[in-house]
Amino acid sequence: MIDQPERIELLQAMAATLTDTVVPASSGGPQHAARVVANLCRILAREAEAGATVARTLSGDLQELLGTEGNLKELVTALDAKLAEGDRAFEVAALPALRRNVEQRLDIAKPDYR
Amino acid sequence: MSPNYEELKAGLEAVLAAAGYRDLTVRVAGDASVGATRRTVFIDVNTDTNSIPAVAQVSSRASQLALPMTASDEAGLVNMAEDAGVPVASMLAASDDESLVGGPVVIARRVDGLTVPRHVLRSLAEIAGAGDALAAQCGAALARLHGVDLELVPESVPRMAEPTPAESYVAELHRLLDNLNHPHPVLRLGVNWLGRNLPDAPTHPSLVHGDFRNGNLVITPQGLGAVLDWELAHIGDPMEDLAYLCMRTWRFGQNDNVVGGFGSLEALQAAYEAEGGLWRQQAFAWWMTARTVWWGIGLAFQAWNFAEGRSSSIVHAASGRRVVELEYDLLNLIDEQGGL
Repeated sequence: MIDQPERIELLQAMAATLTDTVVPASSGGPQHAARVVANLCRILAREAEAGATVARTLSGDLQELLGTEGNLKELVTALDAKLAEGDRAFEVAALPALRRNVEQRLDIAKPDYR
Repeated sequence: MSPNYEELKAGLEAVLAAAGYRDLTVRVAGDASVGATRRTVFIDVNTDTNSIPAVAQVSSRASQLALPMTASDEAGLVNMAEDAGVPVASMLAASDDESLVGGPVVIARRVDGLTVPRHVLRSLAEIAGAGDALAAQCGAALARLHGVDLELVPESVPRMAEPTPAESYVAELHRLLDNLNHPHPVLRLGVNWLGRNLPDAPTHPSLVHGDFRNGNLVITPQGLGAVLDWELAHIGDPMEDLAYLCMRTWRFGQNDNVVGGFGSLEALQAAYEAEGGLWRQQAFAWWMTARTVWWGIGLAFQAWNFAEGRSSSIVHAASGRRVVELEYDLLNLIDEQGGL
């Protein structure tokens, strides 16, 4: 069975309820917490929409860069270990993939930042 | 667990009694904030004859960013800055006895004014020239701080100056990054870049505040009322403070105003130099990059603390999704300085 509303709609509704109902009715620390949670709901809604594509792109980029296979966590760990060697030529080769990933994650976390 | 208000009241009364205050009671008015490294609580110190509005700041044992300065030396250092002409919240007492309030604590007089960055920016925007005037006050205050005689600085204030402040800082960033049990390749790339592009060393190291930014400044109708949060102070490169104040993350969306989102770089630099400070542009850009990496690591630590159950703060949880902002700033800063 397929339950409604879907995940993204639910997260957007949660964000709207916090912003429109809870924030105006609260103050100080609780109000700040409500704002933070509302923002997290919006981030998770965007992540539900685009997160899989971002992960797939990164995984492909890193497999090509590192010449190895593995799950995303293994690939990112291998990239970090390789960067820790301080090889400038490798950093230059890695930079386009890093920048692309940063921009894609930023579009999820804070789209108006760029 | 943080102590509740009753436990705090009893602990703070003991701290003040040990500092020589007699026949007093403390009223805990409420939490002001829970930051990356400490909890800030509003209190009133009441005696038979008067009531002193004050603030108690309890350091967190969970903080990986905290430097090993004692609370009592931090209080001494604030007094020293005050003597040098830096506006501060005057110290009432300090204690390193963690049994009293759950961590080292400093208690200072409360300076009324705005501290929440967005409130500060809104208020300054209403008065023409107020932002640049505040930037100039910040420049002057930092020049006075950086001129403090290091012979007078307490022994426990960390020295991050050997062989140079920048090299020492890169080593510290490597250490912090290695201690994070989670890979952050972009920050790793940033630390590598910093190590290969070290700036010239300052003619002499200075006392550096270490967290001088919009959010740690009390803004009054007269401008800079007090500089708060001295727990990250250390001996280092004076340009570190100036660069940190100008990081994009502390502009809170007001990117045209490089200094804290409120003022111009020209106003900051002119006032700093007028007060005797030496401005080094290359070091300024390098330190902005270094502090961007540092705060990226700081946010990653907050997220890690949440993930590991050491923190239950939703703000710390959300920090994990903010690391990417610092990564984006970092890559842009490297580009602006000639790229890899």
